[in-house]
Amino acid sequence: MNRFGNVGKLLFFVGIPMIPLVVFWFVPMAVSVWLSFTNWDYISPTFDYVGIENYTNALTSADFYSALKNTIFFGFWTILPTIFFGLLLALLLRKGLKGLTGFKAFLFAPWITPMVAMSIVWSWIYEPDVGLLNQVLGWFNLPQPSWLTDSEMAMWAIIIVTVWKNAGWAMLFYADALSKIPDELYEVGNIEGAGWLQRMTTIVIPLVSPTTLFLVIISAIDSIQAYDQIQVMTQGGPAGSTRTLLYLYYQMAFEQFNMGQATALATLIVILTGALALIMFYGSKRWVHY
Amino acid sequence: MEMVSKSRKMVHYILLTIFSIIMVFPLVWMFLSALKTPEEIFAVPLDWLPSNPQWGNFAGALELAPFGLYIFNSTFTAIVIVFFQIILSSMIAYALTQMTFKGKSILFNSILITYMLPAAATYVPSYVIVAKLGLLDTLTGIIISNIASVFTIFLMRQAFMQVPKEMIEAARSEGANDFAILRKVMMPMCKSSIFTVGLISFVQMYNNYLWPSLIVNSQENYLITVGLNRFFTTSGTFADQWPLIMAASVLAVLPLLILFILLQKWFIKGISDSGVKG
Repeated sequence: MNRFGNVGKLLFFVGIPMIPLVVFWFVPMAVSVWLSFTNWDYISPTFDYVGIENYTNALTSADFYSALKNTIFFGFWTILPTIFFGLLLALLLRKGLKGLTGFKAFLFAPWITPMVAMSIVWSWIYEPDVGLLNQVLGWFNLPQPSWLTDSEMAMWAIIIVTVWKNAGWAMLFYADALSKIPDELYEVGNIEGAGWLQRMTTIVIPLVSPTTLFLVIISAIDSIQAYDQIQVMTQGGPAGSTRTLLYLYYQMAFEQFNMGQATALATLIVILTGALALIMFYGSKRWVHY
Repeated sequence: MEMVSKSRKMVHYILLTIFSIIMVFPLVWMFLSALKTPEEIFAVPLDWLPSNPQWGNFAGALELAPFGLYIFNSTFTAIVIVFFQIILSSMIAYALTQMTFKGKSILFNSILITYMLPAAATYVPSYVIVAKLGLLDTLTGIIISNIASVFTIFLMRQAFMQVPKEMIEAARSEGANDFAILRKVMMPMCKSSIFTVGLISFVQMYNNYLWPSLIVNSQENYLITVGLNRFFTTSGTFADQWPLIMAASVLAVLPLLILFILLQKWFIKGISDSGVKG
């Protein structure tokens, strides 16, 4: 094949698919960083360069730190239960049980549904006086908080929905990983009389640790991007208690049109995501067994 | 494999049943609430079942907002997006797996990094680009801005790497060019991967909310997620609207539930197989 033919082929196979990738990913990423050094307000055609003012403003504002705190809180308390329930459900799906596919389908079903629709349904379930959850809690004489309007509880309400939606997804990955543990390993544990807990900590948990790492990283990136459930259920409130960094970004960009501030925040979110992925990836060498 | 005793099995069944009920219950509750009268839905203590199912609630919801049109918009844009994603991703995945060229690893790494980054960070400039293209408030704007999918590129590349080298070489020695190899060898060999990638991408596009809500403004262009949330925000203040809101949510979820019931094995297999294993 001659040289021209090769170039032409590359232009076709790589060039065409790259157009939307460059236009809607690479260029916007770069432009977003550039805008973060300006004071553009979307409406006016001109803007000034303001240096790192947007960054110093963000890093010295109370809103930023409260959103950062909310993001970390939300991330931690969605990832941990998602991983825990994912593994627990996968462990329950033992080989040899009947109706495994049926159970899998039921447990996984929430993942398929639109977050917007399910957030509306959960808003109804969370209704303080007539909602399902508080009526059920009432049977057991448990406290019945006003979930979405109490700044102590609103974040938990959002966390519950998110875990409910994602646990079945994590379960699928764990079920796959568990099916690859050789039966002999279980048997060795049995002959030596190892108990259930011991088998969990010495065989199962180390052997599924690559899956755990994968799920933690993906869930962390997902949790930073959570938006739909917050928008539908609380709009960041009450009193900013569910306003995450991403939600703050959305409000700055598309409610206040403060594009400079918003893009600076976007850059910080990207740096945070990247740093988190790197730390988890390298930190994992200590506890992940390949 | 160790013998699982009968009582141990029983415990597994009971726990699995409890968890399954918890997971599915919000969906069941949505259906039940959609069929209740305003009095029943507000009953304390709970009225579990509607005494006389109010099927008219669905017609009532459809009268207040064109949910049929919203569902059509979502389904249509999602199908067109998935179609383009598959075509474009298969081309670039072919180049990444079958061709040698300068900068290949840089290209792959930049795609990989993009996969990790929050998409929302691109929204401000992307919004301006869509506006400059004159595509604000159009379905075309939503389609064009979503056809680049790092996720599908990634999974298509993985599928293409599994195609045996001998098959490609055999086709090449029979005089097949790259287009023919992509169309007649790679795509048919990876049919099931392509189908599952398309399926997952379809669900994600149908459920997509934040970005489409920025692009579309007029009711005739609403996607179901946008239309449903607008309906919820505007009618949420009137308490007796809850049965209608639940009926509208049922309408929004139903297409996906039907898809899931028909193709659940594809979803379940596809999700765990697509795993980028740590």
